[in-house]
Amino acid sequence: MKKIYLKLRKTVTPTVIVICGVLILLSLFAANLFFFEFGSDDSGYAITPVLIILLLSIIGIVLCLWLRRRIVRNDPVMGRFVGERMSLGPVGTNKSQRKFGFMTIRWLIMLISFFGLIYGVKWLGQGFGNIEIPIFACPINQDQLIDSSCYTLSHLNSLVGMSWSEIGIFFGSLLLSIVVLGRFICGFLCPMGLLQDLTHETRQGLKIEGLSLNEKLYQRLKPIKWMMLLLFLGLGFVGGNFCNICPAITVSPALAGFKVSLFLSGFFMIVVIIGSFFKRRFFCNICPLGYLIGLGHRISLFRIKKDCQACTECGACYEACPMGIKTIYTEREKSDVTTADCIMCGECIDKCPENKALAMSFGGVKFYSASRKTFMSGHKKTERKLKRFIRKRDKNESDL
Amino acid sequence: MSLIYNKKTNQENNHESNTKPPTTMEERQRQRFVDKATKVSAKYLRRLEELNGAPETMQPFFKVLKDIYVDMKNVEKPADTKIVGTYCVMVPDELIYAVGAQPVKLCSGSYTAFAIGDDLVPRDACPLIKAVMGFQAMEVMPIYDDCALMVVPITCDCKKKMVGMLKERVPTYSLHVPTAKSDDTDMEQYVQELYQLIPELEKVTGQTISYQSLAKSIDQMGFAQYQMSKFNTYKKHVPALIKGTHAMALMNAFSYMPVEQWSQQLHLLNQELARRKKDKHYVSKDKQPRIMVTGSPIIFPNIKIPLLIEETGGILVGDETCMGERSLYDPTVVVDQSFDGLMRSLANRYTRPCTCPTFVDNSQRIYRIKQMIADHQVQGVVYHVLRGCLVYDFEYQTLEDELGKLGVPVIRVESDYNEEDIEQLRIRIEAFIELIKLKDLALRPKKPEIAG
Repeated sequence: MKKIYLKLRKTVTPTVIVICGVLILLSLFAANLFFFEFGSDDSGYAITPVLIILLLSIIGIVLCLWLRRRIVRNDPVMGRFVGERMSLGPVGTNKSQRKFGFMTIRWLIMLISFFGLIYGVKWLGQGFGNIEIPIFACPINQDQLIDSSCYTLSHLNSLVGMSWSEIGIFFGSLLLSIVVLGRFICGFLCPMGLLQDLTHETRQGLKIEGLSLNEKLYQRLKPIKWMMLLLFLGLGFVGGNFCNICPAITVSPALAGFKVSLFLSGFFMIVVIIGSFFKRRFFCNICPLGYLIGLGHRISLFRIKKDCQACTECGACYEACPMGIKTIYTEREKSDVTTADCIMCGECIDKCPENKALAMSFGGVKFYSASRKTFMSGHKKTERKLKRFIRKRDKNESDL
Repeated sequence: MSLIYNKKTNQENNHESNTKPPTTMEERQRQRFVDKATKVSAKYLRRLEELNGAPETMQPFFKVLKDIYVDMKNVEKPADTKIVGTYCVMVPDELIYAVGAQPVKLCSGSYTAFAIGDDLVPRDACPLIKAVMGFQAMEVMPIYDDCALMVVPITCDCKKKMVGMLKERVPTYSLHVPTAKSDDTDMEQYVQELYQLIPELEKVTGQTISYQSLAKSIDQMGFAQYQMSKFNTYKKHVPALIKGTHAMALMNAFSYMPVEQWSQQLHLLNQELARRKKDKHYVSKDKQPRIMVTGSPIIFPNIKIPLLIEETGGILVGDETCMGERSLYDPTVVVDQSFDGLMRSLANRYTRPCTCPTFVDNSQRIYRIKQMIADHQVQGVVYHVLRGCLVYDFEYQTLEDELGKLGVPVIRVESDYNEEDIEQLRIRIEAFIELIKLKDLALRPKKPEIAG
């Protein structure tokens, strides 16, 4: 029986990879295609490339689903569940899930930062020209609220022509944001993160099955991550730059109303959208900028703390973690479980049922810790219903 | 005595009994068995009820135990509902409810059935298996006989061999539980096992599982766990609001009650405990030693150990046993809303946090016990080992070492399913409780000095 499962995995994963591979191949020869420069000239609106990307990704997702449905249907064990597993949105929900909480705050902050980074200039003016934070406030937007060290990092060769004070400000603000914010940026501020969370939520809403990665698959992502980091920092020295293949470039400039060509990044973006639809925060797992910030996690002020005794190793945090950090539930010695991969999204704490087992802290102050009461608060509604029912029953009995 | 029951001969006997008056030896034997079993169960139930401090809302739980063990009734359920027997804590009740059946946990604690089973299984097998096989052989308990399917997780050796013996009598499905859980593939393997269990369950009821039914049953079980977590916060209160033996009886009753009814009753009990807290109506005195039980399962009517602890002056504040708190402690955490996500969350909940010693590496149990000691302010731990329950015995050494570092005394009590060892156990437990009292006295005068 396990063989069948392996066969299933062996067929589902390659199809996704093949589709992605085809897209990457397409992107390699994109320069020869007539729409490579599409959108950068005067014709059409700035938003058109984004819409094309979205359309193509939706087609890609539907294709993936159709393929998987075919494969699963022919499976002796799983074929029985094809209706439940593959249908687009079976009715009925898991009602006991908590609706509001820390995650609501996170979504609000993400939305604010999304609009702030893209349309901030229109509301607040061009404010902090000198400060560079390593975030995707894409410098391709010709004017923006804050500078981004992302651009300088991917054009390290341009450091030669900069004055010492500029270099100082660049490194200083980079270091400051690593210390003060760290990968909090990824979980709370990054517009690319919001985009991926939105696709994930769409899948959740439609109740479509995703890809659940295990530690072996996450291990496979590691070389890709390092390769991306190498490309990110090194492409500038060999004549290109990372912006040409960065998928993020198609989001913020286009939405802010700047005409940018699709480059190769547009095609990479399709891969990212399809990937993040099936695997939550797919790009964050290989994002070079985020990983670079994460490497400085030891000096960052945002931390995930763990009470190793209170942990029951239920693995809920690991299941919820979009980055697949396993040490968060296996750790039994250290009270600090922050790793370079952690994007501070707080999902693990949100899903932790043990009192004070996990907590997020800033500079040693725990501001959000797990508790069973909040975890189970979704059931309060059922309890109120039960109370009403009992009162009614008692009343009926006393009437009789 | 020809206690080994043969189905074929019984049918013949039944056939004969239509013509002759029912005075065959087997009939009389069965009558004797029923008389003795109900007598023992009734005795322990009486002791349970006589233990002072039982909340009023506990009565329905006692009634369920009485119905099952004394009156030999079936589980209270709608007439056309099939019952599915389960063992251990690894069988997801959610799946059984989702196909419209009623799960009943069949792990047994009956002394009388144990005596019968003694002849059916090897001498060194654990008494739980003997009791189960005893009931199975005598065919007097409706909960065993009406089972449309038995789902037995392959946990310890005894359970494994029990599957083979049960298969000869009733439809049985063996659910393979991973032996380790450190690797991700272990949990993923269990997801596949659960997927394969579903068609078997569907065959029983004829209903197919759907997303709605599974989501609904997860909600129902989640609500029971929510009530349980509330109950646990009351259990942590010092001085105690409820006696631990009653709490264990409550968890035993869960095995034989529909989950909705159980959580509704527990809700009422929680309300009563809240009133007790407000009125400062405690069941323990300030200086009563706070004891915790861990180890092999304690199943009604084999509740002599918790009863002895509370009758000899201790107060049982917590238990880490699979018929106690463990079966409902860890909630199902749904992180993915798809059908596969629900299945994964179930597999995750029934393997990773489970502290059953049949798993290869089980260090988390020590941490769990330590956390419970801190939460419940436990002063002494009673480590219960059923004779022949090797897996629990293996873990005693490490636990003793770890708790020695904490300075919490542990006592290992080995018992069997009979009443012969009761006096010996009483002496040992009494001495243990006295020891804690003395230790407490020796420590107490120091406190003001430190404060001063």
